[in-house]
Amino acid sequence: MPINKMSRFPLGLFLLMVVQFFCAVFFIGDVVADYRAMGGLTGGIHFWVEVFATVSLFVTIAFEAKFLLRLLRREAHLQDRLRLASAAVYDVIEAQFDEWALSPAEVDVATFLVKGLDIAEIAHVRGCAEGTVKAHLNAIYRKSGTHSRGELLSVVIDVLLGQEAAGSGTAG
Amino acid sequence: MKHIYVWDIFVRCFHWLLVLGFAANALIIDDDSKLHIWVGYCVLALVLARIVWGFVGRGYARFASFPPSVRGAAAQLTDIATQRNHAHVGHSPLGALMIYNLIASLLVLGLSGYLMTTDMFWGTEWTEELHELAAIWTEASVIVHILAALFESKRTRVNLPKAMVTGFKDMPEE
Ligand code: HEM
Ligand code: HEM
Repeated sequence: MPINKMSRFPLGLFLLMVVQFFCAVFFIGDVVADYRAMGGLTGGIHFWVEVFATVSLFVTIAFEAKFLLRLLRREAHLQDRLRLASAAVYDVIEAQFDEWALSPAEVDVATFLVKGLDIAEIAHVRGCAEGTVKAHLNAIYRKSGTHSRGELLSVVIDVLLGQEAAGSGTAG
Repeated sequence: MKHIYVWDIFVRCFHWLLVLGFAANALIIDDDSKLHIWVGYCVLALVLARIVWGFVGRGYARFASFPPSVRGAAAQLTDIATQRNHAHVGHSPLGALMIYNLIASLLVLGLSGYLMTTDMFWGTEWTEELHELAAIWTEASVIVHILAALFESKRTRVNLPKAMVTGFKDMPEE
């Protein structure tokens, strides 16, 4: 898709995760080999430290994956066509979306909405049916306590002006 | 729904024979047996044939149709992050990276296995060590490969394993 011009893909992070996965796989191999050699859980502290190190490496990779997806989301919203917001403005909007507990798909749709795309255009950019976009829109209105695009926009503008009236779910 | 022919008979036979051979050698057959070596050579032959087919085959089987691409992988990850959905007819960019990884790992596995049996390297520590490491890495990759195929099928609503059986993908119309 030409829409995603990824000029700043965090390749370094991605490669780091691959290397860490590589290491984690061999640590597991080691743990399993130790376990087999001992014939049960007779190993002392050394074995458990190994297990702990391996598990924490996997947890680290999971956190990195989460972080990577977040970075990509942000990049996508700052770089798509009809770019509207500077990074600082987007951060404020995104914080509000987070407070409403929008899903990643809903954040995506809401961002396009704020940028002024209509339903057909959003469906095209997201590669889905218009009905799906409408379903996301309903969820966005429900979670934000608004009823139309205009109302949603005015809430977003309020938020940007720092006069946040919105408790979660009951904005307006 | 568009019904598109994607995987030719060669790719499909290659895939499922590879699955059989690999699973047999990794899970069932005794490592010290003659059978292990024969099945291992069959796997190696399959992979070499697939590499040739990647150059002389047609359509989505060609390597040229799924070049390794950072940009493509980034776009696919962005789709995942934003829950967008742009289905890929042939291999997806991340899928392509996994396939090159699998092919390279299987080559190392087969070659290190072969070296172990030659007079020159017989009994050397490092060929055994390499064979074992390659086996662990390939097994882990296969697990990720299978999970990724299931995840992508669910995400894009295109049944990828079924396409590897029938050759056809049912792509949603945009
Ligand atoms: C599908 C490909 C293959 C797989 C999944 C595979 C897997 C394995 C595994 C897991 C081991 C045990 C390693 C250890 O724990 O020490 C092993 C050992 C061995 N493999 Fe393979 N192998 C494959 C192909 C081959 C090939 C092509 C050859 C020879 C031409 C070969 C020859 C051997 C030999 C001689 C051993 C015995 C090493 C030992 O027990 O010390 N393998 N293989
Ligand atoms: C039951 C387990 C498996 C399932 C369900 C499965 C599924 C798939 C699917 C759906 C594809 C096509 C991916 C795409 O649409 O882009 C594929 C390709 C591939 N898989 Fe698997 N796979 C399995 C096991 C394996 C194993 C064990 C290996 C190797 C040892 C393997 C190696 C490959 C390779 C090399 C390709 C590329 C095919 C080509 O272009 O020729 N797979 N697999």
